[in-house]
Amino acid sequence: MTNSSHAEEEKKVRETVTNFLLSSINIANLNDDDNLFASGIVNSLFAVQLMTFLEKIFVIELGMDDLDIENFKSVNATTAFVMRKKGWQKAEAGPS
Amino acid sequence: MQYLLTEQQKARHGDFKTFVNQNVEPFAEKWDREQRLPESVIALLAKLGYLGCSLPTQNGGHGWDTVTFGLLNEALGRGSSSLNGVLTVQTMVSKALLKWGSVEQIRKWIPMLAQGEIIGAFALTEPGGGSDIHSLVTEFTDSRGDSLVLNGAKKWISCGQFASLFLVFGKLGDRSLACLVPRETPGLEVEPIHDLMGFRAAGLAKLTFNNVEVPPANVVGKPGFALSHIAPVGLHYGRISTACSALGLLRGCFEESVTWAATRKIGNQPLGDIGMIRSLIAEMGTDLEAGSFLCHSACRAADENLPEAFEKALMAKYFTSRAAVRAASDAVQIQGAAGCHASSSVSRFYRDAKIMEIIEGTTQIHEHLLGGIFLGQVRRSLQ
Ligand SMILES: Cc1cc2nc3c(=O)[nH]c(=O)nc-3n(C[C@H](O)[C@H](O)[C@H](O)COP(=O)(O)OP(=O)(O)OC[C@H]3O[C@@H](n4cnc5c(N)ncnc54)[C@H](O)[C@@H]3O)c2cc1C
Repeated sequence: MTNSSHAEEEKKVRETVTNFLLSSINIANLNDDDNLFASGIVNSLFAVQLMTFLEKIFVIELGMDDLDIENFKSVNATTAFVMRKKGWQKAEAGPS
Repeated sequence: MQYLLTEQQKARHGDFKTFVNQNVEPFAEKWDREQRLPESVIALLAKLGYLGCSLPTQNGGHGWDTVTFGLLNEALGRGSSSLNGVLTVQTMVSKALLKWGSVEQIRKWIPMLAQGEIIGAFALTEPGGGSDIHSLVTEFTDSRGDSLVLNGAKKWISCGQFASLFLVFGKLGDRSLACLVPRETPGLEVEPIHDLMGFRAAGLAKLTFNNVEVPPANVVGKPGFALSHIAPVGLHYGRISTACSALGLLRGCFEESVTWAATRKIGNQPLGDIGMIRSLIAEMGTDLEAGSFLCHSACRAADENLPEAFEKALMAKYFTSRAAVRAASDAVQIQGAAGCHASSSVSRFYRDAKIMEIIEGTTQIHEHLLGGIFLGQVRRSLQ
């Protein structure tokens, strides 16, 4: 993936994740690094709803190995997780 | 509601009803009275693949969709809530394990669960409480070597009397953790609980863990995720199963009531000609239709892996369990003294229905969650 298409995909993923979060958690403004699991923002179904959403929209399957709070704790973390899971990596720097 | 089903789903529902007519309904009262399910009926469910019907074929299941799974629960719930309880917890354990288990755990356990060679039990509730799952006190501690040590107690565990595999939830420090405990594990004590008002044949038990060794191979998922990811998957299928089972019980109340009202005479007048009896039947029949739609919607959402599937299952279970309690009470009322006797299935429905308002999250917990969800939606739309 070229660096520009990586940036485009990342932007789309970030928007999709942010829109889902804003439609499902009780917070007016969401910054990319806000901790989603901070008390009071989410209910007890949130984690599995987020999991299902990611699986459905990005056509990925989550399993035991993905259970890491670093993957889901914020918009940034979730975006990076989806990019990794889809194998959408930045192009390696070529030999100079 | 039938028009929403495929021909195959309709045909299978017909098969399930025939199965229940022949193998469940004639015996349900006896099982209730004796407070036990015969091994033969569980073996029959296993033989037909019903206990793993919603698991993938590659894991030994039938690979049926959730709508068909719901129809099976509905049919079994019409016959015996206790028997359906076996399917409920088997599915809760299997689905949670299938989603979050390791490759080795899935390979080892899921085919046996799917084929009904072993029965699973879902051990979450403790003597200290069930609604507030975050206050669990069952404790894992590190031991020397790789294993963990489990201490604590679980109560009101369906199928605990005969299950071979327990999915147990506890805490490792301040992180939640789930693990598998086979029945023969040293330090696990199983004490039957008798004399419940309903679900009397569901084989409830209290489990005590005294320094039970849990090898790493039996830890499910990772520390910190048992209550946020593993239990909710099990409880989701538990709610779908219970919602559909309550719907079956509601159908039982409706069918028994209309038959009684059509045939019983008060003086020269059929009971069903009395307006007040018609009111009860009208409410029951309408609840039955409404509940069918909610159950279907929850099952379809699960089949399509929609994020809203979880709240749809909450709504279905909340509605049908409460409607079943109302319907069972009215069904007894319509039959009068006959409805108060064990020879009438509505007397059992009356006792079983109330349990449905307590398991897989009480009515109040459903209201707390659903109320929060609905309010959140409005708040967000106002922002
Ligand atoms: C037949 C049967 C089978 C069962 N099978 C299983 C099983 O297989 N596995 C398992 O783990 N458990 C099982 N249970 C236990 C069941 O899940 C619990 O009983 C249930 O979660 C409620 O917990 P509790 O009984 O401790 O009630 P409590 O949590 O003590 O609640 C008591 C009352 O307070 C209300 N309440 C609690 N919190 C709130 C709140 N925040 N807001 C408003 N009201 C509240 C409740 O709704 C209830 O009315 C079973 C129970 C029965 C009866």
